[in-house]
Amino acid sequence: MGKEKKQVEVGKIADFPEGKCTIVEIDGKEVGIARLKNGEYRAVRNHCPHKGAPVCKGFISGTMVPGAVGELVYDRDGEILVCPWHGYEFDLDTGAVIYQESSEKLLMYPVEVRNGEVVVTV
Amino acid sequence: MDMPEKPQTSRDATLKVIDCDVHPYVKDGIKSVFPYMPEAWKQRFIRKNAHVSSHARPLKYEHPNGNVNRVDARPPCGGVSGSDPHFLVKDLLEQNKIQHAVLNCLQTGSLCSTLSGTDESVVLCSAFNDFLVDQWLTVDNRLKFAMSVPSQDPQASAAEIRRLGKHPQIVAVSLPLLNILMGNRYWWPIYAAAQEMDLPILVHVTGPDSIFYGPPISAGGIPDSYVERYVTLCQAGESSVNSLVFSGVFEKFPRMKVIFVEYGFLWLLPLLWRMDRTWRQLRHEVPWVKKSPVEYVHAHIRFSTQPLDEPREPKDLDKLIELMGYDQLCFSTDYPHWDNDMPGQSLRGLPKAEREKIFWDNAYSTFRMR
Repeated sequence: MGKEKKQVEVGKIADFPEGKCTIVEIDGKEVGIARLKNGEYRAVRNHCPHKGAPVCKGFISGTMVPGAVGELVYDRDGEILVCPWHGYEFDLDTGAVIYQESSEKLLMYPVEVRNGEVVVTV
Repeated sequence: MDMPEKPQTSRDATLKVIDCDVHPYVKDGIKSVFPYMPEAWKQRFIRKNAHVSSHARPLKYEHPNGNVNRVDARPPCGGVSGSDPHFLVKDLLEQNKIQHAVLNCLQTGSLCSTLSGTDESVVLCSAFNDFLVDQWLTVDNRLKFAMSVPSQDPQASAAEIRRLGKHPQIVAVSLPLLNILMGNRYWWPIYAAAQEMDLPILVHVTGPDSIFYGPPISAGGIPDSYVERYVTLCQAGESSVNSLVFSGVFEKFPRMKVIFVEYGFLWLLPLLWRMDRTWRQLRHEVPWVKKSPVEYVHAHIRFSTQPLDEPREPKDLDKLIELMGYDQLCFSTDYPHWDNDMPGQSLRGLPKAEREKIFWDNAYSTFRMR
């Protein structure tokens, strides 16, 4: 039988600046709250699936799209979380590592804004 | 997006750990070690602005994410990752249940191998060593130290080992390599002093490798990016193992031990096969090599584990280590660098007794632990 879910208010909109992953604590676990450019939020467990790093202490960025030799194409600005240890790039939409086959995914929780409060379902 | 919780990675709580590769950072660099050098040298460094020099790498070798250090390992009081011994003890040793950490200062290493002149390196090396003995080793007895030597001057290096090498927390001699293979007689005064003090020689990339003339350079040419350079840095380890054995260093210095740190180790098995075959065929060219190269390497040389390679099938790594044998590897984190490995996530597929060898026994019998 699965554990019953609960909703936790983690702060007000102003507590979470755009483009940053701000760490809050929920039931003793660290969760990073990221406000994306489009106004959406993501809630990410602060634990890199690769080697356990505090992934939310990395930075949010775009990424270089695989392309022609010698050419750079920068895309998805503000949608990628980069781990501070081994540099793995995670898609903040899906939690998946981008541009490589991997079963390792970020643990993400549903998050929404309700009456100016950011609410995470854990 | 809602997925079940994965359990936190963990490890056997009884596993004792010696971390063979930890990098202290001397905040303010040369300026911090002014009190540990003669006044005339201090005035020389001030006049040439050495104390504000950044010692930056060329642009093409800067880390693609802007920092070789983990940003999450910065001390709360500010400063560069690895610059506060109190925080390092808490963040690395206590957090990861590590019993001993072997400190190896790469600022000293890069100044000695490349970035300073010979006479400057002799003064700076002693000053950095004394600073770390005075300001770091006194903080916690679990901190051990691989003292550096000014490798551009082998006689001065030997003198430095004899000056400082008796300190009970000094467990190894960190030798900043030059583009001279390790078997060359240039190095022998250093080996003599290290053996006399019962200290192993520890070698580690010092930073300017494959960038400047002076330290070892990657085979075949100069790499074009951080990624390319990073992958080739192990080559100097392979060349050095070969050189140490065939030049007869371990016959000349029968109690000498060497630990290769951060050069990788998966290349060792094919190298040993090739060295052994060639020795059996042509040993008469080097008759001082009295037994198989495999025996010398097993008796005298160890390798640190980080950065662990990550085959898509993790069991492949376990299998290769089984083929190598479990007596030659010593666990290392490389804290606070970006590519560090922590004990809880490392080599978890190996049997318990073999993990104990790699995390404790092999290092304990290699370093001068008292």
